[in-house]
Amino acid sequence: MDHLLTVENLTKVYARGEVLALNDMSFSVEKGEFLVLIGLSGSGKSTLLRCVNRLIEPTAGTVTFDGVDVTRASPSELRRVRRRMAMIFQHFNLVKRSTVLTNVLSGKLGYMSPWSSAAHKFSRSDINKAMANLERVGIPEQAYKRADELSGGQQQRVGIARALMQAPDLLMADEPVSALDPATSHSVMQHLEVMNQEDGVTVMTSLHFLGLARRYGTRILALKDGQIVYGGLPSDIDEVRFREIYGEEAEEVGVR
Amino acid sequence: MAKRPKKSEFGRFNASLERFAVLRSRAFAFFLDWAAWGYISYAVMYFLNQYWYTWYVDWYGTLVLPAWGWPIVVLATLELAILMHAFGHGIGMSLFGTKLVTTDADYPTRKQRWRRFLWMHASLVMLPLTLLRTGQDGALLHDRRSETRMRAWKDVKDVLPARKPRAWIRTQSGIMTLVLIGVTFWLGWEITEIDLGMLFSRAGMSARIWKDLVNPDFVHFFQPDPMLEQSIVQGLIESIFIALLATLMGGIIAFPLSFLGARNIMGFSPLGWFVYAIMRAFFNIFRSIESILWAVIFAVWVGFGPFAGVLALTLHTFAALGKLFSEQVEGIDPGPLEAIASTGGRRVDVVLFGVIPQIVPSYLAFSLYRWDINIRMATVIALVGGGGIGRVLFYYKNQVGFLSNAWNQVGAVVVAIVAVIWLLDYISGRVREKII
Repeated sequence: MDHLLTVENLTKVYARGEVLALNDMSFSVEKGEFLVLIGLSGSGKSTLLRCVNRLIEPTAGTVTFDGVDVTRASPSELRRVRRRMAMIFQHFNLVKRSTVLTNVLSGKLGYMSPWSSAAHKFSRSDINKAMANLERVGIPEQAYKRADELSGGQQQRVGIARALMQAPDLLMADEPVSALDPATSHSVMQHLEVMNQEDGVTVMTSLHFLGLARRYGTRILALKDGQIVYGGLPSDIDEVRFREIYGEEAEEVGVR
Repeated sequence: MAKRPKKSEFGRFNASLERFAVLRSRAFAFFLDWAAWGYISYAVMYFLNQYWYTWYVDWYGTLVLPAWGWPIVVLATLELAILMHAFGHGIGMSLFGTKLVTTDADYPTRKQRWRRFLWMHASLVMLPLTLLRTGQDGALLHDRRSETRMRAWKDVKDVLPARKPRAWIRTQSGIMTLVLIGVTFWLGWEITEIDLGMLFSRAGMSARIWKDLVNPDFVHFFQPDPMLEQSIVQGLIESIFIALLATLMGGIIAFPLSFLGARNIMGFSPLGWFVYAIMRAFFNIFRSIESILWAVIFAVWVGFGPFAGVLALTLHTFAALGKLFSEQVEGIDPGPLEAIASTGGRRVDVVLFGVIPQIVPSYLAFSLYRWDINIRMATVIALVGGGGIGRVLFYYKNQVGFLSNAWNQVGAVVVAIVAVIWLLDYISGRVREKII
């Protein structure tokens, strides 16, 4: 198997307060994996995901995506890399006052010329693709509503449709279901699973619930204080490992 | 998240900076208390001047301090500040969040406070030496001698033994606050020459004017006044359009420039910070100069008339809206911007697709609100040659004594202005409700 993403010695120090968010972290992601990041709040999961596409500038280390050194990429190279790695967010990050369709279409911005994006001119095939993607996540009838009129689960599906527009090789998800109820969580996670299994998109997601991680992940990375404390199969996380990751007093809560 | 494992050189530098910061806030707290006493002594001088000027009077009949008086005032207020600093919790300490505690984290005893009070004199006399010999924990001479420390309140509030707090009104800072408010009110009363008796003693004179004002004469409502060559309605239309054009032009200029004045758009590079600072300074300076002053300038520049008024209001609208708009841009939800950047969008795309949809409604609401203000302003800038309904108003006001019905006509203009402002206020309020 070949590496899609390689992270080497990645370090992030937040200047204010001198907090070490990522401490010399190295790992790689294979093509077709469903990688789940777990760990306590503040263990560096979000920072790690954002350092990969440089929404946050890492302090040191390299990120290599399909042979391209992301950390040293020029702005235009970075754009080309970013459009191949989509991202969905804990709070969906939709433009609330725009329509659902516009939100989905914004996934194509990385491919468009500055003139057509400035004129908000999306091609007919892009619009068709956006409608098809909305259909795929099951909310085609919401296309012309404002994004903030939708429920949480529907909004996250819009986020997924936006990610689908990019036709990504890697999908990063930052706590995609922690703002949703358990039933909706599973339907969102199943969309990610389908993308992973049918489209061959590599998925890297952080999750709060170990139950979800065990159910969907093919591999788990556990983070603690900005370092990887465990990497391996979901089924190998037993009581002892769990305590290592989450601390002595932790007790598992499940999402069924 | 873990703290950085070993403390670097930079860390040590930071630690000394931190100690300096504590010293600085202590100094500010002290100077604030001193300044409060300075203010009170200024007020006392002022009152002496007002009520008791038989003492030491100069040529103009003003009470002045003799040459030796100033050092006495300075030293006496300093002494008071020291005394109150050692024996209570002053305004400065409240505002800067410091608290006097003993080295073993308890409340200082009376004896310790006296020692502190006396040693503070020595500290102040040899101030540079005192600062040079600051202890490792930021302790100064009088801190060490009295075994007390001035600490940040947030650091000691959990350490100090619990004690029922005194009622705010009985603490030093409470008493001082009340005294300062009282002194300010009294001083202001004297400075602004408030004389409530005047309201009644001259009521008869104004009664005549009131009688005319409430009997408005609408003779020139539609019919232009031959001398003025304008009717009230024409004046109103002129004012409304002055306000409308000023709002439109000011808003249109402010829209693109407000992005340059927003920290979250510009704060990524030194150049960006520079532009941001320039824009903000520009907005603040032009906003703080009232539009009536701009009208004076433009009336001289382009001549009396509505054009000068439009220019004046445009400039002020631009600056005021620019500031409001930039604050709106700074207050937007950063999530969508992150999302659009992550799809590979350019900075321009982030602004077009992420920022603008979020701010357009509040921009429209602010512009409408500004239109309200501009209509009110347009009625007064005529005072300095801005044109519009105000010109009609002041024309009739200046005809008092020449025209028998001057006040009645002023009344008509006022009624017209009130009606129009009320109507437009109502409309823009309804529209604003719809937008937001």
